[in-house]
Amino acid sequence: MTTTLEQAKTAAIPQGGGLHRRLNMATAMIGGIVFASLFWYLAHHFLDATSRTYSDEVAGSLTIGWIVGFWLGIGAFVAPLRWLIGRDNTRADDLYLAGQGQGTSRYWKFTTDHKVVGVQYIIMTMVLLGAGGILAMAIRTELIVPGNHFVNQQVYNGFIAVHGMLMILALIVAVAGPWGNFVVPIMCGARDMAFPRLNALSLWTLVGAAGLLLTTLAVGSLTMGWVVLEPIADQAGVGMDFFAMAIIVFTVSTTVAGVNTICTILTMRTKGMTLARLPIFVWGAIIAAALGLYAFPYFSLVEAQTLMDRTFSTSFFVANAGGTGWLQANLFWLMGHPEVYVILLPAVAALFEIAAVMSRKPVFSYRSAVAGMTGLAGLSILVWAHHMFTTGWAPTLGGPFMLTTELISIPTGLFFLVLIGTLWRGNIWMKLPTIWMFGFIANFIIAGVTGIYLSDIPLDDQLHGTMFVTAHFHYVFVGSVLFGAVSALAFWYPKVTGRFLNEFMGRISFWLTFIGVQVTFLAMFASGLRGMPRRYSSYAFIFEHTNLMTTIGAYIIMAGMLVLLGAVITSWNKGEPAGPNPWHANSLEWMVPTPVPLENFEVLPVITEDPYNYGEELVRS
Amino acid sequence: MNRSKSLGVALASVLLGGGALALAGFALASATPHQAALNCVPSQSAPNTCNLNLSTFPDSMAGEQGKDGGVHPDWVSYSNDNLVVPANTTVNVTIDQYDSGGSLNNAFFDQVMGTVGGTATIDGKTVSSVDPTNVGHTFTLRGIPGSGKTMFVSVPLPADSNTQSVNIGQGQYTKPVVVQFSFKTGAKGVYEWNCEFPCGSTREGQFGEAMSAYGYMSGTLTVN
Amino acid sequence: MSTSTNKQSLKGMLWTWAALTVIGVIIGLYAPAWIMPKSMSNNMHLTILTMVVFTVAAAPVAAGVYATALFALTRWTHKGNDVPSAGPAVRENAMVVTTWLVVSTLLTVFLLIWGLGALAVDNGSTGKNPLVVDVTGQQWVWSFSYPGTHVSSPDLYLPLNREVEFRVTALDVTHGFWIANMGVQVDANVGTITTIHTTPDKLGTFDIRCTQFCGLNHAFMVTEGHVLTAQQFTSWLASQPQRA
Repeated sequence: MTTTLEQAKTAAIPQGGGLHRRLNMATAMIGGIVFASLFWYLAHHFLDATSRTYSDEVAGSLTIGWIVGFWLGIGAFVAPLRWLIGRDNTRADDLYLAGQGQGTSRYWKFTTDHKVVGVQYIIMTMVLLGAGGILAMAIRTELIVPGNHFVNQQVYNGFIAVHGMLMILALIVAVAGPWGNFVVPIMCGARDMAFPRLNALSLWTLVGAAGLLLTTLAVGSLTMGWVVLEPIADQAGVGMDFFAMAIIVFTVSTTVAGVNTICTILTMRTKGMTLARLPIFVWGAIIAAALGLYAFPYFSLVEAQTLMDRTFSTSFFVANAGGTGWLQANLFWLMGHPEVYVILLPAVAALFEIAAVMSRKPVFSYRSAVAGMTGLAGLSILVWAHHMFTTGWAPTLGGPFMLTTELISIPTGLFFLVLIGTLWRGNIWMKLPTIWMFGFIANFIIAGVTGIYLSDIPLDDQLHGTMFVTAHFHYVFVGSVLFGAVSALAFWYPKVTGRFLNEFMGRISFWLTFIGVQVTFLAMFASGLRGMPRRYSSYAFIFEHTNLMTTIGAYIIMAGMLVLLGAVITSWNKGEPAGPNPWHANSLEWMVPTPVPLENFEVLPVITEDPYNYGEELVRS
Repeated sequence: MNRSKSLGVALASVLLGGGALALAGFALASATPHQAALNCVPSQSAPNTCNLNLSTFPDSMAGEQGKDGGVHPDWVSYSNDNLVVPANTTVNVTIDQYDSGGSLNNAFFDQVMGTVGGTATIDGKTVSSVDPTNVGHTFTLRGIPGSGKTMFVSVPLPADSNTQSVNIGQGQYTKPVVVQFSFKTGAKGVYEWNCEFPCGSTREGQFGEAMSAYGYMSGTLTVN
Repeated sequence: MSTSTNKQSLKGMLWTWAALTVIGVIIGLYAPAWIMPKSMSNNMHLTILTMVVFTVAAAPVAAGVYATALFALTRWTHKGNDVPSAGPAVRENAMVVTTWLVVSTLLTVFLLIWGLGALAVDNGSTGKNPLVVDVTGQQWVWSFSYPGTHVSSPDLYLPLNREVEFRVTALDVTHGFWIANMGVQVDANVGTITTIHTTPDKLGTFDIRCTQFCGLNHAFMVTEGHVLTAQQFTSWLASQPQRA
């Protein structure tokens, strides 16, 4: 009997595929550009050029053209259209679409195999983090000394908006994207996601949205924070229309991905995989997906309203015409706070998984882990107005929102209990994933404590809108989520590539990043406490030293991330071979061969217990 | 890979990546538009005094912005955004105001503030405030925050209601309102100035477009 | 591993915890006043006090996590290159989970009670003849006027030890009115007036910075303020040009 690995190597390209044989990322870009030009021409030709909203109407049309063309060019509509005309995909077509026998070219196509989508999300995350990181370096370079010496304040203001949005997108997909797609279906014992084509659609829609977002830099004039609070957003140029459309398209992607994840986990579990036997990461994935389904429609809504204000002269947010910016702020933060936990939960859940495997112990208090994540998700939808304590909106609601916000420390406390309880008296295997996990624990404490300061209104009245807030959420996003994401990457990298992520380079990267984070963001806390507001392109001389330190720290983080990038690239083909189960773990993704064959399992497994029993090893390597 | 090779790859990653970023940053900094400096011309008649001549136009064709064609020729603009003056000097500013106008959104800016004597001379008439419903632009200069370099100069530039036309380059304008005032420069540093009349039409607060884009209705005053 | 060595080893964790707690408490007691701007109002005293109390309260919790993590790194790590053997298969411990929940709930309740109490003090007006100042934010300048006096100024002047009521509004986009030395902040919104109160209690100069991103020159929307004695304030007011 040939092994599945050999089968994967020798499998011929199936005969089917039809139109998909000709479509890839390049045709998608061409389609996007052609349709964007076409829509631009039509808008330009038919709309009233003297209208106040003319440029926004044209920009809006162009962005719609881009995404429609992008979808057509990647082949998102081929299969549904074939179904419509009665020529549904054959088995050969589906195998082609799943990428069988197509080598690396399948990564640049509308490929339905969940493992291909997972790898595409890894690339996507790295591209977004890279682009956002370059902007972060530009921002810090501007802030080395007071005054606008590197770029002027207009260019700088554009950087902060796009840096923020790119990084938020990058972190939303950083763990849930790669691993929610690559490992969750295997963990559940499924052959693929519930809706493989929707899976590919969510990825390529995200690529289209990211394209629009990056274009805002080129068209400029998106000069505000990523929250694009009204009414300042109303003053922006056409970059704002690109941004709004990018967000609307992005929420399509998250909705499709969220529905798919939930359906997969609820319906595709193999025999015996009860909810209580699910690896804890799957719980993190489903809770985050459900929370995302609740949160992101607000984002879509608020950007659609912004777009309508700009193109159809409605006045949802225009105070001069009877609207109010507070409406925008409420809708935005209804999304904005749950979104933080959509980002955080998959990373935390991955670390629970990693802590269990690496300390060779069951997840301590599995129920607390699930309850903590669910509780956090539930509470997170009731805390949004803590972002608005100083706006003057509804001061009487300050107390209630302070209550809900401070309650968040209870489920968050459970996360520490589960992590520490799992490590407690374990036999901790100090490998790359473990090291980054310890980094997470150290940073997440600082993120949590500073979050408590900000939840307290009298303190928030001092700290809101300052660099203190910026430092706080960078401890959450960089110090915690990014560390969790790198830990997850190092943990599952061998499953994707069959090779370890270079341990030595990973450790260099860890120390650079860890030290960099402390230098950067502790100094940033000091800037904020001393009184430096956020989003400043220049600052008073009293903030000189702390800003210089922050910039030095940021460059160190950059060095750390570059080393990680070098490790990811060089280990992909040249790393130390890992075998199918390098960590001697028991969950299903480690039970299948590496590389994982198409449709994962020859025979679907039957589950009799949870994957945390390291006493009797079930390892098949 | 062994350790020394890994270390080599790590170093190469940092050097290559850092080098690429540095190059990109350098390219970006040089690509950022930068207007030529307008230096204050030392006065022949009075010591420690210099003269600075500016204009405000209803478009951006006649000033530095439109010199090479300009991205937005129809946006209002000051003739220059990069002003350079010596420290501890009296600067005599003359602004030729060619643009029409309307009401200030904050009548506060109808006052002449921070100039020598608290007054300005408009078409030869010395005033300390103007009609807030008939202002074209303002010249508003502020100190460097938190540096102790305090300065606040704000002079309203009345709307131009002349009908007699004049030509500057290719453009035809009406005869300007001439506003003259003096202020004393203090310590060295880069100060920011902008216009406080809501003249960036089309958006809420009328501060979009030219008002929100660097170098049209805003700029720096470098004291050295 | 015998029970006695376990007890001994956990003692080391306790000492680390105690030491880290002490460091945290010292930081909490001294760092806020050292780093934060000089306090010039009753609100700022409360702000700094809250910072101190919260940091001191958080110190043992954070120290506990750090001590455990450090301890795990030094004592519970697996040595050697082979695969570590299984650790104790502890899945639940009702006692630990309950204690954890109770302690974190108590801490939260404490934070909440402190917060609500401080909020009541912080936002309250004494109602004793406050000086009203109308604050107008616009891109990128603050202006202040004193109702009933026909005086308006680009800089803020306040009398010592008298409550001030700021009525804040904006003309174009949202701005954030923040006096870093007085611990008060509120947004300036278009078409709406928001109000904050504070009582300056130190003479001196302070900065007013915009905390809500407001466009091109957001970073330069900074204005100086001055706290004067009541007498100085009256004469400053009288020296200003009167406006209709």
